[in-house]
Amino acid sequence: MSFDVLFSQFMSGIARAALLFLVASGLSLTFGVLRVLNFAHGSLYMLGAFLSYSIWKFLLMPVLGFYLAAIIAALIMGAVGILIEYVLLRRLYARGWPEQLLATYAIVLIIMDLVKWAWGGEFLSIPRPKPFTGAVLLFGFPFPSYNFFVILLGLGLLVFLWWLIYKTRFGDIIRAAAHDREMVSALGIPIPWLFTWIFVLGAFIAGLSGAVTAPFGSVALGMDIEIIIECFAVVVIGGMGSLPGTLLGSFIVGEVYAFGIMLKPELAIAFIFMVMAVVLIIRPWGIFGRPER
Amino acid sequence: MFLQTQGITKEFGKLRAVNEVSLEIVKGDIHAIIGPNGAGKSTYFNLVTGYHRATSGKVLFKGKEITNLPAYSRCNLGITRSFQITSIYPKLTVYESVLMGLLSHRKVTLNFFSSAKKFFKEEVWRTLEDVGLADQANTLGDSISHGDKKRLELAITLGTEPELLCLDEPTCGMSPEETDIAMGLIKKFSEERGLTILFTEHDMSVVFGIAKRISVLHQGTLIADGTPQEVRASKEVQKVYLGGSA
Amino acid sequence: MVIKQTEQKESMLKRGWWLILLIIIFLIAPAFLSEFYLTVLCEALVMSLFALSFNLLFGYMGQLSFGQAAFYGLGGYTVAMLITKVQFNFWLSIIAGVLVASVIGLIVGFFCVRLRGIYFAVLTLAFGQLIFSVVFKWHDFTGGDDGIQGVFPPEFLKSPTNYYYFLLIVFLLSAFVLWKIIHSPFGQTIISMRENSERTEFLGIHIAKYQLITFVIAAAFAGLAGAIWVPFYRSVAPSYLTWIKSGEPVMAAILGGPGLFFGPVLGMFIMTFFHSWVLGFTIYWPVVMGALILAVIFFLPGGILGFIQEKVNERKEIRNRE
Repeated sequence: MSFDVLFSQFMSGIARAALLFLVASGLSLTFGVLRVLNFAHGSLYMLGAFLSYSIWKFLLMPVLGFYLAAIIAALIMGAVGILIEYVLLRRLYARGWPEQLLATYAIVLIIMDLVKWAWGGEFLSIPRPKPFTGAVLLFGFPFPSYNFFVILLGLGLLVFLWWLIYKTRFGDIIRAAAHDREMVSALGIPIPWLFTWIFVLGAFIAGLSGAVTAPFGSVALGMDIEIIIECFAVVVIGGMGSLPGTLLGSFIVGEVYAFGIMLKPELAIAFIFMVMAVVLIIRPWGIFGRPER
Repeated sequence: MFLQTQGITKEFGKLRAVNEVSLEIVKGDIHAIIGPNGAGKSTYFNLVTGYHRATSGKVLFKGKEITNLPAYSRCNLGITRSFQITSIYPKLTVYESVLMGLLSHRKVTLNFFSSAKKFFKEEVWRTLEDVGLADQANTLGDSISHGDKKRLELAITLGTEPELLCLDEPTCGMSPEETDIAMGLIKKFSEERGLTILFTEHDMSVVFGIAKRISVLHQGTLIADGTPQEVRASKEVQKVYLGGSA
Repeated sequence: MVIKQTEQKESMLKRGWWLILLIIIFLIAPAFLSEFYLTVLCEALVMSLFALSFNLLFGYMGQLSFGQAAFYGLGGYTVAMLITKVQFNFWLSIIAGVLVASVIGLIVGFFCVRLRGIYFAVLTLAFGQLIFSVVFKWHDFTGGDDGIQGVFPPEFLKSPTNYYYFLLIVFLLSAFVLWKIIHSPFGQTIISMRENSERTEFLGIHIAKYQLITFVIAAAFAGLAGAIWVPFYRSVAPSYLTWIKSGEPVMAAILGGPGLFFGPVLGMFIMTFFHSWVLGFTIYWPVVMGALILAVIFFLPGGILGFIQEKVNERKEIRNRE
C-alpha cells in the first residue's frame, strides 16, 4: 500500500474527525457543566439536518442558500434547546441522573417520529455549496474541497470554544460551575440561567453540524443514533466534559473509522469499539477524564 | 508488629498532603491522630485504609505489605473504617445494614439461594444490643437521628469483625451526651473485643480522655508521637497549637 | 418482636393468596382469549422475563443498562440458527441460547463494570449497538437485514395454547429463581452496592466482581427470554437487538416501579397490551412511548406499583395513629 493511499485515507479521517468534533463538543460541553448526558443531542443534529434541507429548498438561492439555511436551522435548534431545557430538564436537576437520561431518551423517540412524520423515510441531500463544489488533488488523489470546509469549521469551533471556556468571564463561570456548583451559586451567579445558555449553545452546535452534513448526502432517519453512538465513543475515549479530550477522541474515532473502512467496511464501527475497550482497560475515565472520586 | 507506615507520602499535584510519615500502631491500643485543619489526618487515614494510594513509602499490616492493595482486600485482612461524613445505607433497615458487614466478613455473599435474613441472627442482634440500636432494628437508616447513624456505622463496621478499626472523626457533629456514649462504646469494644482502634478527632477533651497513644500531624509531617502526657509536654505541639497566641 | 413476626407472616400469606389467584387466572386465560390476544399475552410474558433480567441490574444493583436487547437478540439468534441451519434439538438450542448470551455478557460485562452510573449506561448502549451492527452486517452468517425465518418448535408445541403454557412455566420458574437470588446474601450484597457502593467496598466487597456476576446473570435471563420467544414467533430479525428494544425494559421498569419485584412485569404487561392496541390506528408508537416516559417521570416517580405501595403505607400509618 502506497503512502499516497494512506495519506488520502488519513485526510478523509480528519474530515470525519472534524464532523465528529462538531457534534461531540456540544454533547461534552453540556455534560461538563450540567452533568446531564443529553441522549437527544443526536436527535437535535438530525432535526437540524432535515430543517436545513427544507429551508434550503424554500430559499432557492444558488450560493448563499446553503449557508443561510444552516444558520437558520441552527438558530431554530437553539430555540428548541431553550424549550427542552426550560420545560423538561430544569425540573429534573434535583432528581437522579437516570431520570434525566430517560427524559432525553424520550425526546429521542419523539423527535424520531416527528421527523418520520414530517419528512418520511427518504434519503435527502443538498448539493455541495459554492465555492466548495470541486475537488483538490492531494498527491494525485481527488479530495473533496467540501471536506476542507468541514475541517475549517471544526477548527473554528475549537478556537471559539477554547476562547469561550478559557478566555472569557463566562468561561470562568462555566469552569467553576463544572467544579463546584454550590460555590458558584453562592457567589450570586444564577445557575439556572447559565444552564439554559449552555444547553442552547449545545443545541445550536448540534443543529449547525446537522446542517453541515447535508451535502454528504446522508440526511435520513437513523442518523441520530448513528452519530450519538459515535459521539459516546468519542467522549468515553477522550474523557467526558473535557474539550481537549473531545478533540483527541474525535481524531482517534475519525481515523480508526477511515482506516477501518479501508480494511473491512462491515466492521469499521467494531474497530472503534475495540479502541474504546483498550482505552477503558488502561484509563477507565477516558484519556483526559478525571475519576469521580 | 501490627500496623506500620514507613515514610509514607501522598502528593496531590504539587501539594504534599502527607510527608514521609513513619508510624507504628500497637495491637490493642487506642491510637489518636490529631492535628490542625489540613494537617493531613484524613489523608493519612485514607492511605492506611486504601481510599488513596501512597505516592511513596510503605504500609505494612502484620508484617505484610499492603501499600497498593485495594480497599476491599484490606478489609478482608482485618482493617475496617468509618467515614467522617457518616456512610450508612439510607434505604436499608438498621438490621439489614449490620447484617451486610457480617455477610461480607463470613464470606457467604456468593450464596445465591438461601434467604439472607436467616444468616447470623444472633450476631446481628448482639451487635445491635451492644451499640444500643436493637429497638430500632426495623427502622430505615435515613430515618434515625444523627448520633444513631454514627452508632449504626460503628455497628456495620463491627460486623466485619475487624482487628484494626479506623474511625474518621467518630464524634463529628454529635452533642456532648452523644459523644460520651460513643466514646464509651469505643472504649468498651477495644477492651471486650480486643480491637485496635485508630481514630482522628478534633475534640481534644475526647482525645486526651480515651487515647493511649497520640500522634500529631502538622502540614503533613509527624511532629510528635507518644503517650498523652508526652504529647502534652511536647514543645513542637505547643508551638503548633498555641503558636499564634503564645 | 414476637408480635411483629406473626404480623409479617400474615401479610406474606395475604401476598401469597394474590399470587396463587394470579397464577390461576393465567392458567385458565387461554380458554377466554382470542388467538390474537393469546399471542399478545405470550409476548407480554416473554418481555416481562426480559424486563426482570434488566431490573436485576437497574432496580437491584442500581446500574442502568441500555444494551440489554443485545443479549435478548443473541439468545433468539442462537436458537434460530441452530434450529434452521443444523436442525439442532429444540431444548438444547434454548440452553445454547442462554449460554451464548452469558458468554457474550461476560465479555461485554468485563469492560462495562469498570464504570458506574451514567458511564455504565453509555457503555452498555455502545456495546449493544456493536453487537447489533455485527449481526446486521454479517449477512452471510446471520441473514443480515432479512433475519431468519422458519424457526419451528417441536410438534407438540406448535399450537399457541401449548406454547403459552410452556412460556408460562419458564416465566414462573425464572421469576422464582430471580426472586431467590434477590433475597439471598448475594442479592443483599448487590442491593447494598446500589445503596452505598463505597460503604460496601469498605466492608470487603470487590464491587466490580459482583457487578460482573450480576451482569452475566441478567444477560443469561435476557438470552433465555429471546430464546423462548423466537420459536413461537417463528422468526428473528436484527431489530431484536436495537437500542429501541433495549429501551423497552427500561420503560417497563419505570412505568411499573423499579423498586418492586413485579413492577417491571406490570409495566411490560401494560406496555405490550397498549402497544397492540395503539398499532391498530397509528404507526407512531415511539412518540407514544416517549410521551409516556415523560408522563411517568414527571407525575408518577416510583412507577405505578410504587405509587400504590406509597398510598397503602400512608393508609397504614393513618390507621396505626388511630
